[in-house]
Amino acid sequence: MRPRILLVWLLAAQLSAAAENDPLHWSFRSLQQVVMPEVPPASRGHNPVDAFVTAAQVVQGVQASPPAQREVLIRRLYFGLLGLPPSPSELDAAVQDTTPDGYSRLVERLLASPQYGEHWGKFWLDAAGYADSNGYFNADTNRPWAHQYRDYVIRSWNADTPYPQFIKEQLAGDELADFAPGDPVTERVVRLLTATHFLRNGQDGSGESDGNPDEVIVDRATVLEGTLQIAMNTLLGLTIQCARCHDHKFEPITQREYYQLQAVFYPAFPALHNDLWRTPQQRFIDVPLPQTLARWQSRETRRDALVAQARRQLAEWVAANRPPAAIHFADDFQTPAGKLVNWSSTAPGDDAPGGQPVVQIDSAEAPGALIRDGVLEIHEAGQSGNRWLSTREAIDWTPAAEGEWIQVTFDLVDDKIDPAGKSAARIGYYIALHDYDDSSSRAGGNLLVDGNPGGPTYVQLDYPGSDQRSLGAITETRYRPGRNYGVRITRLAGNQFRLQHVVDWRPEDKSITLRADDLPDGGFGVEYCCDRSFRIDNVLIESNTAQGGTAVDADLWKVFYEQYQRRAETLRELIETRAKQRQKKPGRVAWVTDVARPAPVVHVLERGLYAEPGAAVVPGGLLRLTDADNPYVVPGPETPARSSGRRRALAEWLTRDGSRPAALLARVLVNRVWKHHFGRGLVPTPDNLGQSGTPPTHLELLDYLATEFVHNGWSIKMLNHQIVHTAVYRQSSAPRRAALAVDSQNRWLWRFSPRRLEAESIRDAMLSASGELDRRMFGRYVPTTRRPDGNVVVEESQRGSRRRGIYLQQRRTQINSLLALFDAPSMVSTCGDRNRSTVPLQSLALLNSTFVRQRALAMAGRILGDDRSGESGQITRAFRLALGRPPVSAEHAAAVEFLGKQRVVYAAAADRDRRIWTDFCQMLFASNAFLYVE
Amino acid sequence: MRQRIKSSKLPNFRVNRRNALTAAAGGVGVLALKQLLAADTARNDGPLFAPTTHHTPRARSVILLFQNGGPSQMDLFDPKPELARQQGRPYPGKVEAHFDKQVRNLLASPFRFGPRGDCGMELSETLPHLGGIADDITLVRSMVTDSVDHEQALRVIHTGNPFAGKASWGSWVVYGLGTMREELPAYVVLTDPAGLPIDGTRNWSAGFLPAVYQGTQFRSQGSAVLNLSTPGDVSPLARRHQFDLLRQLNAEHLKGQPQDAELQARISNYELAARMQSAVPAVLDIGRETQLTRRLYGLDNPVTADYGKRCLMARRLVEQGVRFVSIYLQSQPWDTHSKNAQSLRGLCARTDQPAAALVTDLKRRGLLDSTIVLFAGEFGRLPVSQGPDGRDHNRHGFSVWLAGGGFKRGYVHGATDELGYQSVEDIVSVHDLHATLLHALGLDHRRLHYPHEGRDDSLTDEPVTGAEVAAALLETTSA
Repeated sequence: MRPRILLVWLLAAQLSAAAENDPLHWSFRSLQQVVMPEVPPASRGHNPVDAFVTAAQVVQGVQASPPAQREVLIRRLYFGLLGLPPSPSELDAAVQDTTPDGYSRLVERLLASPQYGEHWGKFWLDAAGYADSNGYFNADTNRPWAHQYRDYVIRSWNADTPYPQFIKEQLAGDELADFAPGDPVTERVVRLLTATHFLRNGQDGSGESDGNPDEVIVDRATVLEGTLQIAMNTLLGLTIQCARCHDHKFEPITQREYYQLQAVFYPAFPALHNDLWRTPQQRFIDVPLPQTLARWQSRETRRDALVAQARRQLAEWVAANRPPAAIHFADDFQTPAGKLVNWSSTAPGDDAPGGQPVVQIDSAEAPGALIRDGVLEIHEAGQSGNRWLSTREAIDWTPAAEGEWIQVTFDLVDDKIDPAGKSAARIGYYIALHDYDDSSSRAGGNLLVDGNPGGPTYVQLDYPGSDQRSLGAITETRYRPGRNYGVRITRLAGNQFRLQHVVDWRPEDKSITLRADDLPDGGFGVEYCCDRSFRIDNVLIESNTAQGGTAVDADLWKVFYEQYQRRAETLRELIETRAKQRQKKPGRVAWVTDVARPAPVVHVLERGLYAEPGAAVVPGGLLRLTDADNPYVVPGPETPARSSGRRRALAEWLTRDGSRPAALLARVLVNRVWKHHFGRGLVPTPDNLGQSGTPPTHLELLDYLATEFVHNGWSIKMLNHQIVHTAVYRQSSAPRRAALAVDSQNRWLWRFSPRRLEAESIRDAMLSASGELDRRMFGRYVPTTRRPDGNVVVEESQRGSRRRGIYLQQRRTQINSLLALFDAPSMVSTCGDRNRSTVPLQSLALLNSTFVRQRALAMAGRILGDDRSGESGQITRAFRLALGRPPVSAEHAAAVEFLGKQRVVYAAAADRDRRIWTDFCQMLFASNAFLYVE
Repeated sequence: MRQRIKSSKLPNFRVNRRNALTAAAGGVGVLALKQLLAADTARNDGPLFAPTTHHTPRARSVILLFQNGGPSQMDLFDPKPELARQQGRPYPGKVEAHFDKQVRNLLASPFRFGPRGDCGMELSETLPHLGGIADDITLVRSMVTDSVDHEQALRVIHTGNPFAGKASWGSWVVYGLGTMREELPAYVVLTDPAGLPIDGTRNWSAGFLPAVYQGTQFRSQGSAVLNLSTPGDVSPLARRHQFDLLRQLNAEHLKGQPQDAELQARISNYELAARMQSAVPAVLDIGRETQLTRRLYGLDNPVTADYGKRCLMARRLVEQGVRFVSIYLQSQPWDTHSKNAQSLRGLCARTDQPAAALVTDLKRRGLLDSTIVLFAGEFGRLPVSQGPDGRDHNRHGFSVWLAGGGFKRGYVHGATDELGYQSVEDIVSVHDLHATLLHALGLDHRRLHYPHEGRDDSLTDEPVTGAEVAAALLETTSA
């Protein structure tokens, strides 16, 4: 066998040689003023960028191309800056403006357009690994608030936030805001807190973890590690994750440094501290702006007032029309001082309060009971309960004569206290309440009626305690706010009693039979348990024995509750309307902040094993990038009251003026922007500027651009401005054989490489040409739907279905199929370098998908609707809408021929013209001239 | 000279089956490519336009059953009794591990091995179905590769090089042999419904080869290919006119970029797309298979149903003239850094029956002689344990198996050392394997090249890698 040269050894040898000869890798150096290359005076270009490009071309033996045609350049510029084509009128204006600064004014106008942030925002979201779902597990659960971060990014790019500020906000917005609940909320605070969502772009399955404790740790640690990886990769273009288990093989990063960096993020993602972890669903904060909150509150108050008024009117009617009865207890919670005078946490005659902690009277602090607005509020926040609030008085629950009854009723005002909160799962109440811990000499009693909004209501006897017993379901009726509920006990023959459920004053048919022993004297009480908070009113205990001692006529009652039914309708409708129109409390933000306070000690994990902590580490930056004048410093002592400041310290370290991390930060960003314009970075591996990345083709140019970027206040708009003004950007894309032979990949930039549009631009450009593009910005994503055949679409009927691609739902496992076919990523970690495929499936989509056909149909309508210049004019208009230029004569002839042929095909069709033009417009969308910028 | 498919009539709905040895990669792309190459006089004798294959081929199609993550050879294919005897002792020497601080002592396989078939090939108890076809396969126990890093090793086994940007060997095969069936992509990839493998679509990228050679992904749930039906309001005649128009528009556009292979691929893809519309639904209609066949592949069992369905789809595609089909698993399940034994049991339960069924089915239909089935991961695993119950990556020794297409039957090739760490006998590098596979397909790896960055690049890059055809793997023929 012949000797082999194993490529990996070559690779490793190269790397270690590089590391030995040059201890400081090129991208780890500070930015120095770059010496301008000397280029032949005859060579074109006045921009310094072009001097660097030309110098390299001279060495490589290739020559730049002449400038691109104006229309071609304008289309290139629109897609490059906005991701959208120019409209025909924009195109005309730009082409006709031949003044010397016409191009500059166009560039500046585009940079000021709101669509700039939508296009470049997507560029950043790719690099930062944005998704609208949590990933990790197959469930791939929703991230309902992530869109706020997407909007933050769009706004930041439009505002041209200086890059260091943009980075600081995303790494440590919470610490910059220094916000604590209760502090005044400003737009700045909301922006800063929203920005931290950058740190939760990674996959996070911790909300669905259900494995053993080891697996749960892995699930959580994955979040911490993924967040660190995304931060380092997006910002510094370094692959750091290899150093988790051992010193990095290819980069100068030790395992210890890895854990020092991890310690920066650990307080926010305390993966190994079981009690402190927060799932994605728990990481939010309510920060409504005062004016927004006030608007919301006033709307809510108005609706509440209507309901309250209807309730009052109904109560007055009940008071006036109720058949006479013997009242044993009544409370309408209208006591002058607003105090609960008739109620106690202890059952009548009992020796101890019901449950621990004891219900606090006149307190909103759970467990508590409070009168507010003439209504009794039951505040419960605990998970386990068996606490109660009871009448102070004991009641005799056993009517003396056969046929007599006693009943307790109350109005269920609402099944929650916080309008934005969860509805109580049960509305539980007791009768014959007398004994908490089975210490009483009397058995029975403590009859719990567990009113249920979602199923049958069960009755428990002697609850709580080991001898408790279920008596079965007493009703199938669901508990709803705005109705009156209770139970009635009627004496039967033979010392037996019938228990019936009462709804809106009417006893239901079903019954449970009780013995006298089951009904000792005792209070009426409200059950506290399991996060159940609700509001009730008008507690009334009465019996059908009129004052005089005679039983009240049953017919009177029948008439009463039939009339009540009708009168209560208004109230119920108002309550339903309120529920339907109730808007979520505004201002919820999905953020990141330190949840482990003070920060726990972080250890190196031996061999990366979670169960094998090694030496403790303190937070820090990367050693190889740290200079004496740029230490990583956490300001001040850490206190439990505030976030640790560790992430802010990292952000400061990363962005400090003149520092080496800042230099790398600038190089990475400049390279990403360059790649976005030219299809290839000055460093071909945009996500890896480390030692294992591919070296730059134009190192001096990269450093020059990075230096300029910093000097221009880290303005990305100025960077874009500079790039699109270069001759290298404005040159033609036409191939030349001689140059192709030397440099087929165009590494030396001898032409502008023709490039297929990105997925979103293909979709957006069709919507733009068809005149349907919905330019509304921001807000919740437009949902995608998975059809039975697996096709993921945005239904045409879906609100917002014609908005730009950046607003479509970015669920990792459910990316819109059209976008996915054209290489939109299904986000795993980050995507700084989209693949660019050419497969027949794309052709099929352009030929047959509903989306493309619909856009062609709409564009046909546009052509037919607003053009009176005859077929020739219509053809020209179609070309200009779709391709940004009029047709050349051969294209025009082909179009005429096609329209003629289709006219024959559709001769009999009623909608002949529409179909002809739909077929035509669709082929424009399918053509290479549409799909490529040149 | 080989005939080339005419492309003047677009779309061509007629089925136009051609002999494997006389077909070229379809469509306008190739014609345009020919113009490109012809314009460059130095290249007009490139392999794509060689009069025929370089020598008589044994196989015409490939099915790659790719096992992402690196299957553990000493637990599946390569019994090591010595490992059991030395269980728990340190490895006598140094091992190159990926996670080098986690290396522990020797870990015996928990699985029993036994002789299978008439040839007596020793295989693990976890592979009962493979045991059933032992007499049909070549088992190579002496593989080596160049990297212990997943991505790099994936690129080595797919493209022959650890760096990104090179062409996958499926693309090379299609580039070399062209298509046999105008109605279908020559290179089809069947991905796991759960998601893409590590390194995603780059595993079947055409790299620097023209885009027309890249793999086309079919789905195995719902519709295999979306958008297969012409919109209801477009008649066949109207559609034909649309194609006429589109061809004219694209031809005009191509005048400005006459040498752009991507634009040409996009043009020829329309042709292919139109033909796929009529051909694909029938080709992938598994409902046409008998109950017996479905059961053979394990479609009646939820554990094997998915992999079985994809193996069955692969057979149908090859039967219909697809040149290269590859099947992937999501992520890298064979990467058993922990719970090695448990994970292997699960993975074998998923893949063993369908993979063996594929060979059996191809054989009984007379397709095995012309189809190579390759079952391989990117590397193997270490004889020492990682953590209590895992195994780390190993590039110095691993196993793959092949069936059909001129590969020997019931044959075991090469060996690792007594502990299963390093290949020591009749070593086969990934580059040798590539050379051998191309050889079986009638292609000379030293002569199948493409101009790239100023040189003739190839799959095996023989001057650098020293790749050689491992002739011992192939049956001797008189041809």
